[in-house]
Amino acid sequence: MINFILVFNRQGKIRLSRWYQYMTDKQKASVSQDIVTQILARKRGMCNILELEGRREARGKAIYKRYASLFFCFGIDWNDNELSGLEVLHKYVECLDQYFGNVNELDIIYNYSAAYQVMDEMLLGGHAQETNKKIVVKHCKGFDKLEESDSIVHNLRASNIA
Amino acid sequence: MRGLTVFIADIRNCRVRELEEKRINKEMANIRTKFKEGSLSGYDKKKYVCKLLYMYILGWDVDFGHMEAVNLISSSKYSEKQIGYLGVTLLMHENSDLVRLVVNSIRKDLDDNNEIHNCLALHAIANIGGREMAEALAGDVHRLLVSPNSKSFVKKKAALTMLRLFRKHPDVIPAPDWAERITNIIDDYDLGVCLSVTSLITALAQQYPEAFMMAIPKAITRLHKVIVERDFSADYVYYKIPIPWLQIKLLRLLQYFPPTEDPNMSEMLHNVLQTIINNSQETPRNVQHNNAQNAILFEAINLAIHLDCESDIVRQATNILARFILSRETNVRYLGLETMAHLAAVTDELDEIKKHEETIILSLRDKDISVRRRGLDLLYSMCDVTNVKTIVSELIRYLHIADYALREEMVLKIAIMTEKYATEYSWYVDVILQLISSAGDHVGEEVWYRVVQIVTNHESLQEYSAKMVLHYMRSPHCHENMLKVGGYILGEYGHLIANLPGASPIEQFNTLHARFGLCSLATRALLLSTYIKFVNLFPEIKGAILAVFNQYRHVLDAELQQRACEYMAIATMPTDDLLQTVCEEMPQFTERESALLSRLNEKTNQTEDKRTWNIGGKDSNEKTPANLLAAKENKENGSVDDLVAGVNGATISATGGATEEAAQGTNGAAATASSAATPAAPAAKAGLTWKDQLAPGHEVWYNRLRDGSDGVLYEDSILQIGIKSEYHGHLGRVAMYFGNKTHSQLNSFAVTVEAPEGLVVVNSHTLATSIGPSTQIQQLYSLECQQIPTEVPLIRISYQAGSMQSIYLKLPVTLTRFLEPIQLSSADFFARWKQIGGAPREAQSIFKSTEKINLERARAVLVNNRLGICENVDPKPGNFVATAVFNTSLNGKVGCLLRLEPNRDTDMYRLTIRTTSDVVSKHLKEILHTALL
Repeated sequence: MINFILVFNRQGKIRLSRWYQYMTDKQKASVSQDIVTQILARKRGMCNILELEGRREARGKAIYKRYASLFFCFGIDWNDNELSGLEVLHKYVECLDQYFGNVNELDIIYNYSAAYQVMDEMLLGGHAQETNKKIVVKHCKGFDKLEESDSIVHNLRASNIA
Repeated sequence: MRGLTVFIADIRNCRVRELEEKRINKEMANIRTKFKEGSLSGYDKKKYVCKLLYMYILGWDVDFGHMEAVNLISSSKYSEKQIGYLGVTLLMHENSDLVRLVVNSIRKDLDDNNEIHNCLALHAIANIGGREMAEALAGDVHRLLVSPNSKSFVKKKAALTMLRLFRKHPDVIPAPDWAERITNIIDDYDLGVCLSVTSLITALAQQYPEAFMMAIPKAITRLHKVIVERDFSADYVYYKIPIPWLQIKLLRLLQYFPPTEDPNMSEMLHNVLQTIINNSQETPRNVQHNNAQNAILFEAINLAIHLDCESDIVRQATNILARFILSRETNVRYLGLETMAHLAAVTDELDEIKKHEETIILSLRDKDISVRRRGLDLLYSMCDVTNVKTIVSELIRYLHIADYALREEMVLKIAIMTEKYATEYSWYVDVILQLISSAGDHVGEEVWYRVVQIVTNHESLQEYSAKMVLHYMRSPHCHENMLKVGGYILGEYGHLIANLPGASPIEQFNTLHARFGLCSLATRALLLSTYIKFVNLFPEIKGAILAVFNQYRHVLDAELQQRACEYMAIATMPTDDLLQTVCEEMPQFTERESALLSRLNEKTNQTEDKRTWNIGGKDSNEKTPANLLAAKENKENGSVDDLVAGVNGATISATGGATEEAAQGTNGAAATASSAATPAAPAAKAGLTWKDQLAPGHEVWYNRLRDGSDGVLYEDSILQIGIKSEYHGHLGRVAMYFGNKTHSQLNSFAVTVEAPEGLVVVNSHTLATSIGPSTQIQQLYSLECQQIPTEVPLIRISYQAGSMQSIYLKLPVTLTRFLEPIQLSSADFFARWKQIGGAPREAQSIFKSTEKINLERARAVLVNNRLGICENVDPKPGNFVATAVFNTSLNGKVGCLLRLEPNRDTDMYRLTIRTTSDVVSKHLKEILHTALL
């Protein structure tokens, strides 16, 4: 299963993170720090798999891929299929791309809650739940409509008060 | 939300961390006041929680706002609810105190008719579900999963939520009861649902393989449909490949089961695998297409290896792998090496792999550490007697330039391979000493302990290793670990080389002592012990050594001081008696599992899914989940290798039916086994006698040992107990072996024996109170039969494993163990037979045998019960006459006469026993009666 998801930029700033395995905030910080440093130090042409064996809190492997300024990284179990994980990761990026329309780092910064929504529609509890891009994006857009109607009501009220 | 956007922009404009911190603190203070004032609108609450979450993602500590997030959850507006849930899943974890506050809101949303609310609730459970949620909500989640009214997108979320709850708290999910309905969902038309439920079943099947057997045909059919029949919804095609993740999940699921026996299914699966291999002959240009194709291919190869590692498919796969490990793409090289290691770990046929030895050795020099690690593991897995020397010498050469992170593991692996495959022991000693001298810092304690054990147990090695270790200690860079080995070996075997040039006693002493001052206190303490042994071995250098002792009598460290004082006292006694006794040669170490292996296993065994295979040779792979299941099914077939279980006593061999229990026990939490593993949970209840609490299933083992043979007396997933015994007259000795099969220490270990009247059981020493991981301890008992025991002794074993566990067993020490067979002539026999006369000193029983009477078997029963069979006494062939003397130390001897008349037409026995004691007659009759049945 996927134990954690980290999205960070080239400067090592974390943009999104989701932990499916229990860790304290301190452990999370030290594990992500450790992984980010190692991945940023890896050269082009090296494989997309980083073995975490022997590190205290994290276990298994980290698989990662760089898309423009962002690195997407999954922590997976030792026994898991690495390529399968990498393609789930790619699928997530595709879904974000479709949802935002040509996604970039800023989209994810300002709309992090939408990025989490797409993540939760695709992955749940560390396993892939839906890999059909159309369905994922349709659901998320559907949620947005609900949100819009909320805010229309809010704006109406606000103007009434004014 | 404008406020949020502005805030984020502000933060982004902070060019230095100090400014960011200032801005954050300001905002935190502001939000705190707002929250304190209360009476915020839902919109504002949402806005502030969003800001807090953003700060949290950036890595700042957020220690408030949880309550506001919880409040938002119960909002009627979707957007507020959604942020509330996001806040809860990011800020809380399974052990948060606040979790109980959300359980009710979540339950309300689960029961809601609005599916979107159901989904938000499921997300929350799947992300933070702890015990409370599991207990309160598992039923609701199950309902959403199996209800025909649930929409697909609710179903798949429910499946994964259930998986999370099961992983965390398997005890609240009655998986076997739900097995059928859950398994049926594999057939769901919606591929997303199928994908999710396959993940769930994969987890459940590892725990309850039997309950989920029906998933095998379903998985195979589904694979066939997608891959061979190409029946799937076009939306699920990923770069020309239909839903690769589902294919992979199903292929993985099958690896947790033994190969199917249904020929149709087998044929279908073969088609699936062959199609996958055929599809992979071309390398697609597109990266994603290529990755997805390879992901499936590797999983298919893993499954093929699991099914039959000598099949044609595996042969084809081996060729593909050979191509892969030469690939220019690093991912492919990495995975090629990994999969090849899987093959090497389970197959007997290593020749195909050995062809690529050179390439694999080259991969140790790959620029990517991940690939180097795979190369190392593959070399370790493919090692056998023929190539061990090449591989080990390559690895030692590589050790000098290897990454620090890799070295310790390499040393462990080299040590294991060398020990396992060495054909001559001197080579073993050479390699290990070389290892210690060149990579001393990375040599764990286990490694040098093991050398000492092996040298001690092999007399032929002792002189050679003493010579070698002395040589190494003279090199300018001698590592402290070498000094430890050297100190021990010279202390024990230094005298063997004392006549060689350059190895005279004083030279040995000087070599050691030259580095004495430079090493740690622990090593110095060890060397002091070596010196006292020298005093015993070489009285001629006593003077020099006494000077050292004298000097260290005043050292500050208490341990060293004590040793120095005590050794000084022993060495200066008027006679050498005590010195000689203390310094007597070390006895051989009992054979036990190499601590190295358990160390290695410990390092790799932490993972959510059970491993489908382990790195290492074939023996490391006999306890994978599927193999265990296979062993269980295969009842008549043979022995599970105990090596991994850690109870490698030569004295204990689990054979035949014992395997069945062993396999069952090791299956861990399987419903059936869990009752066996905690046999006497209610044992502490007052008023129960030991006899009432005997471990379930103990009879099987007991009956097998009743005839006095040696073997396993009890086994579960934690403990294996073996017994070995010998008797002579009224005395007996019983050795019991307690093996800890787990990878953790068993504490509070205690054994007590309840002896019946007339039998005295004394233990030879106080037993250790803990058993280390994968080790075995031994306890000796001496028995004395004083009077006539009418019961067998009972034994109670207790230990701490989570909670306190107790096991109650019967020891197979019956009255007949104290018999001594004798032979009487016909005349003598009948004279005594008449002398004893009928009841009460005669006991007779006539009974029907449960099987066809077999004279050989009957004879064996008598002989095993230590009765002497007198030939040609009874005129009728087939009737037995047997005699023995029963020995007691207080009541003297009791003569026992026996006649056994089998009637082969009716399968009845008539057993008549006359002894000089009515108690013995009665009791002996009962024992033989049961044994003959």
